[in-house]
Amino acid sequence: MKRAATPRPTGAAPSKRHAAKVPAEPPAARSGARSQQTRFSSRLRAWGRHHRAMALDSLYRLIRHPMGNLLTMLAIAIALVLPAALWLTLDSAKLLDAELDESATLTIYLELSVDASQATRIEEAVVADEDVAQTRLITPEQGMAEFQQSLGLDDTLAGLEDNPLPTSIVIYPQSVEPTAIKQLAVRLETFSGVDEVRVDLAWVERLRHLADLGRRVALALGVLFGFGVLLVVGNTIRLAVESRRREIEVVMLIGATHAFVRRPFLYSGAWYGVGGGLLALGLLGLGNHWLAMPVAALAASYGANFVLPQLDVTGSTILLSCSTLLGWLGAWLAVTRHLASIRPR
Amino acid sequence: MIAFEHVGKRYGGRFEALAHLNFRVARGEMVFLTGHSGAGKSSLLRLIMRLEKPSRGRVVVAGHDIAQLHASQVPFYRRQIGVVFQDHQLLFDRSVFRNVSLPLEIQGLEPREAARRVRAALDKVGLLYREKALPMELSGGEQQRVGIARAVVNKPALLLADEPTGNLDPQLSADIMALFEDFNRIGTTVMIASHDLALIARLRHRILRLRDGRLVADERAV
Ligand SMILES: Nc1ncnc2c1ncn2[C@@H]1O[C@H](COP(=O)(O)OP(=O)(O)OP(=O)(O)O)[C@@H](O)[C@H]1O
Ligand SMILES: [Mg+2]
Repeated sequence: MKRAATPRPTGAAPSKRHAAKVPAEPPAARSGARSQQTRFSSRLRAWGRHHRAMALDSLYRLIRHPMGNLLTMLAIAIALVLPAALWLTLDSAKLLDAELDESATLTIYLELSVDASQATRIEEAVVADEDVAQTRLITPEQGMAEFQQSLGLDDTLAGLEDNPLPTSIVIYPQSVEPTAIKQLAVRLETFSGVDEVRVDLAWVERLRHLADLGRRVALALGVLFGFGVLLVVGNTIRLAVESRRREIEVVMLIGATHAFVRRPFLYSGAWYGVGGGLLALGLLGLGNHWLAMPVAALAASYGANFVLPQLDVTGSTILLSCSTLLGWLGAWLAVTRHLASIRPR
Repeated sequence: MIAFEHVGKRYGGRFEALAHLNFRVARGEMVFLTGHSGAGKSSLLRLIMRLEKPSRGRVVVAGHDIAQLHASQVPFYRRQIGVVFQDHQLLFDRSVFRNVSLPLEIQGLEPREAARRVRAALDKVGLLYREKALPMELSGGEQQRVGIARAVVNKPALLLADEPTGNLDPQLSADIMALFEDFNRIGTTVMIASHDLALIARLRHRILRLRDGRLVADERAV
């Protein structure tokens, strides 16, 4: 249970402040450590009782008007789903990133004049470099076979008499650090018999930048849509306060504190947050279900094994807590702003 | 218990609703406040409840200048005063019982004890049998009595009433006044604003007369 974030003494909470006492009972009845103690604990119990009552009361009010409240929760859910989904996607992109790192390679093409034994010697020299983890020699024949296979053009190329492809060596570097790979490439170019070194890092880097950009966009969207949730809840609570204005005036006339007045609305806000969060989880699950098939098929066509990520228990808890907190905060802002304008008549 | 010291109240800068008020009400006293409509009776009571602050002078209740109370202390101050409002100020979406229990709810009284006190208060105003009714289902006089039950449920040391018999027939008015006298007898300080001059005169308590916001007479019962 949350307490209103206010230094004011709450409705029935223990408080050190005393208003001007209009003594009804003889002072003796108020003194004594024991009676102080029981007063404190009974006030604490009263405070807990009011919290419980207001939590249930606001839930009951929510259920009594299911349609309008469901729409509010749906608005919250939609605001939460977008950044959450983007974040999830990027999280899975990180996994993809690791896979990409594994596939970061250099290819050196040997001069056409280099024969098989020379090629083997060059490969040995390359393996000796401390930055090289592994190599794979591709003879012109293998290269042609792979090429044909990848294009599905067996017949067309079979007609060529001379194989125009050079021998190539695929190099798996120790480190996927871009600068290390670039240095390695420069070194490899000085080897005799090497025609060209091709480093295909640009797209890896591009993807990284894209992921970085995506994360920032997700964060910005999260903040923006968080404000959206605050506004949605705030507006709903503002209307609720307005519709109960009369009641608020009356209870303030007979001595209700601001915290007492605020409490049911804070619970309403928190319930909106809980409902919105649960709906958001549902929507995410639904979206996952909806997209899983085509995504898996698409990934398979690239030879990747990629499944759409799902929110785990931690993620769900975080999402739900955030939405609850946002709902509570939206309500707090709305009520506090509004209470200032309500003065008992 | 209550002391007005050179109190003046202006609304909106120019209009003087109350001026040069000087009087004291002792603890355990019962006082009537009377005067023509617009004389300032409600305004005076609102000053005591600290719904308004005086524009001039001091209002002292139980030894405290209540203008000095911090905003956060005001609710706790108000809980110690029972008020019967001129326009009832009941909540129409809850039962008579829940209306009367409102002050106890605000104070966080244990529900069983609260229910006992609510029934006792309703019994005093003769409405125990209507505890489940909504205020809308009651006559104006019955609503007024619910308001009285709510004001006293808390056993306040100070009871303020603004036209508590405004809607009641003479017999019921006399009964209600007798009820206030009962409370006064057990030590409650009572201040009642009323038009009903005949009834007031019969009851032989102190009478403060207002005219155009000024105290024109302070008649002690003989
Ligand atoms: N909030 C306010 N703003 C401006 N003027 C006010 C306000 N409240 C009261 N007044 C004015 O102050 C004067 C005294 O009003 P008050 O309500 O105290 O009279 P009253 O004696 O209670 O009258 P009644 O017997 O009709 O209830 C009236 O002229 C009224 O118009
Ligand atoms: Mg009046």
